[in-house]
Amino acid sequence: MIASINPSMKAFSVLIPGILLALTYDFFTPLFYLVFILIITFTLSKVSFYRWIKIFTPFLLIAIGFSWMTMLYTSEEFSGGHVLFEVWRFEVTSGSFETGVSLGLRSLCFVSLSLLFVLTTDSTKFMLSLMQQCKLPPKITYGILAGYRFLPTFQQELQLIRQAHRIRGVARSKGLRDRIGLFRRYVIPLLANGIRKAERVALAMESKGFSGESKRTYYHEMKINPRDWLFLFCMVGSLVTIASLSSYFGFLNIFGKQY
Amino acid sequence: MSIQQLNKSLLQVENYSFSYESLNDNQVLQDLSFSLYHNEMSMLIGASGSGKSSLALCLNGLYPEAVEGNSTGNIYFKDKHISDYATGELQQHIGIVFQDPESQFCMITVEDELAFTLENLNIPSSEMPKRILEVLHLVGMTNNKHKRLHELSGGEKQKIALAAVLLLDPNLIIFDEPTANLDPVSRIEFIDLIREIKEEKKLSILIIDHQIDDWLFIVDRLLVLNKNGQIIANDKPDKIFPEKIPRLKQEGVWLPKPYLNPLTVKADSRPTNKPVLLSIGNLSFRRKKSTILSDITLNIPEGEFVTIVGENGAGKSTLLQLMAGLITPDRGTISFQGKEIENWNEKELRANIGFVFQNPEHQFITDTVYDELTFGMKLNGYHQAEIKARTTALLSQFGLLRHKYHNPFSLSGGQKRRVSVATMLSESPKLLLLDEPTFGQDADTTHELIKTLVMLRDNGTTIIIITHDMELADLSDTILVLQNHKVAFSGSPSALWRKTDLMKRARLRLPYRIRTQNKLGR
Repeated sequence: MIASINPSMKAFSVLIPGILLALTYDFFTPLFYLVFILIITFTLSKVSFYRWIKIFTPFLLIAIGFSWMTMLYTSEEFSGGHVLFEVWRFEVTSGSFETGVSLGLRSLCFVSLSLLFVLTTDSTKFMLSLMQQCKLPPKITYGILAGYRFLPTFQQELQLIRQAHRIRGVARSKGLRDRIGLFRRYVIPLLANGIRKAERVALAMESKGFSGESKRTYYHEMKINPRDWLFLFCMVGSLVTIASLSSYFGFLNIFGKQY
Repeated sequence: MSIQQLNKSLLQVENYSFSYESLNDNQVLQDLSFSLYHNEMSMLIGASGSGKSSLALCLNGLYPEAVEGNSTGNIYFKDKHISDYATGELQQHIGIVFQDPESQFCMITVEDELAFTLENLNIPSSEMPKRILEVLHLVGMTNNKHKRLHELSGGEKQKIALAAVLLLDPNLIIFDEPTANLDPVSRIEFIDLIREIKEEKKLSILIIDHQIDDWLFIVDRLLVLNKNGQIIANDKPDKIFPEKIPRLKQEGVWLPKPYLNPLTVKADSRPTNKPVLLSIGNLSFRRKKSTILSDITLNIPEGEFVTIVGENGAGKSTLLQLMAGLITPDRGTISFQGKEIENWNEKELRANIGFVFQNPEHQFITDTVYDELTFGMKLNGYHQAEIKARTTALLSQFGLLRHKYHNPFSLSGGQKRRVSVATMLSESPKLLLLDEPTFGQDADTTHELIKTLVMLRDNGTTIIIITHDMELADLSDTILVLQNHKVAFSGSPSALWRKTDLMKRARLRLPYRIRTQNKLGR
């Protein structure tokens, strides 16, 4: 299951194909890689389809938008080939069509790779793994973890301040300048409290013997198993395989050069 | 004869002074000399701003390094100067449990938080599960190992904070106002737990608090800090009280109830046949999928002093926000002066309903105290002369004349509280709502606030106040008990004090007045 893959290894398994994909300008490679990611997502993880599609849909619309704009405004380098159709004054050539579709598909690949990571990874474990595998200093790791706890309280507090200001009649004040001045008033108590809380947490952590030294034992020991390497190999390997297939059929295009 | 003489001291403070660099020539702690002994429960009291919390952090070596501060004098722990301990070593011997349950954790789950302490001590991971279970058993939280910290109640969070500190296996634990944010019953439970653990583990304990009452009978020694950060008393409680009472009163220290005059005299007659000011019918409110309030019906007559009590999370704050029209109910009606709250013009509604928030800073909008008070009146187009007259009257009434041109953020806790109440009164509202206004305040501030509230009530303002303070609730005309999303009780305080069953269910406590009466009666 993907949820049990070591988080740092999973991050690399998603990052490396992402970077490689950014170099391919044909439509064949991202299309088949996208299919591959989808198969992985829905066979090897417990991500619910409903939850996934809810996050995916807005990006799908954005990707279609990207794709369309690129088709209309393709740079000269890529816009060769015969004219497929015309929209108002814009001519869409086979070259620009391919570039547009490729960009759209690549964006979708990035989105689904990110979702594969985000929806199957526990944020605490990810931070712990970064500390244990990637030697991120404990000061930063636990700092981020402590900060993560604050996000919901921050939101609650902003809401309280809004209410408090409404009581004072802030809604009654008119004009843009007044409003900007009042926005400043939201920020000061929020920051003042944020700093105070951060200081308190820092003191509490130090009081529990936290010294920021990297020599420490781990309750959750994050290990790298052979299956983590296998996962990395699969994610990168399948991209290479698809790219070579693409090359075999004569589609592969890296940085505008046909291979 | 006394414990001190039998035992060698554990911690010794000699001529210790401490100041923050930013506050020049203002010493927070002045020339302190005292000792803490093995297996002794001592308590440090003092008015807010007397430097109690700073002292705790100085003792365990985090101050002055953690802040820009200077210290002179010496502190010895087990006869070794605290600066001779390696980084992180002293903190293992002297643990601290802090006041705010929300901001002393850095992990998501109970288990991980406790493991964090063990990891800091480099305990082998194979030994951790056993130790975690042991300590959870000790604080009575065995079933909560896998829970997320934010799902726990305030009292439970403090127990976990204590557990994390116990894992350090310290000789001395300092509790910095550990029960200030807890409801009355959780407070008593936590105090009992501290006593039990002290006996079992043979620990030295230093309690820092401004309310002595519930501690008085379990502490061996009292240290009293005055406003200038000097120790003015250091002895057994029964030696300090009643002898030094006048001195303590002068310093704004919260005296224990047996030595205190009753807060205020209750108005002898309850308002009768007054018209209804605020009426709520069949009100329900949900947040996401959980019910917060269901089927609430109540009427509040003009001029009443109402307190709302109940456990944390019972929906008290939500009810108050609904009353102010800050949020809208899912079902049911709220009408103010006979007119539904949605139909009120926002401007008029705000002029008629005042709301004092728990944290006064949230309400500050302008740069000076004077501007704060005039803000509402200016918006409503009062005359210049009237604004000036009213503001000056309010400033003198609340003792803020000297701070007229100060930035409200720079004031002390008590002064901030007064400004936040004063701003609400500038437009003389009919209804004043207060959300735990005495929370974390010292004796002086609380006393003052209650005086103000009684005065307002006598002038005809209706007051609704959320509180955990049963002494304050005892002063009100009507108490509303919220429990299980419903109003479980609505009536006079004396009627509530007789409902033993309900008191237990809603985790309430009898006020001191009744507790002593019951004792005498027995």
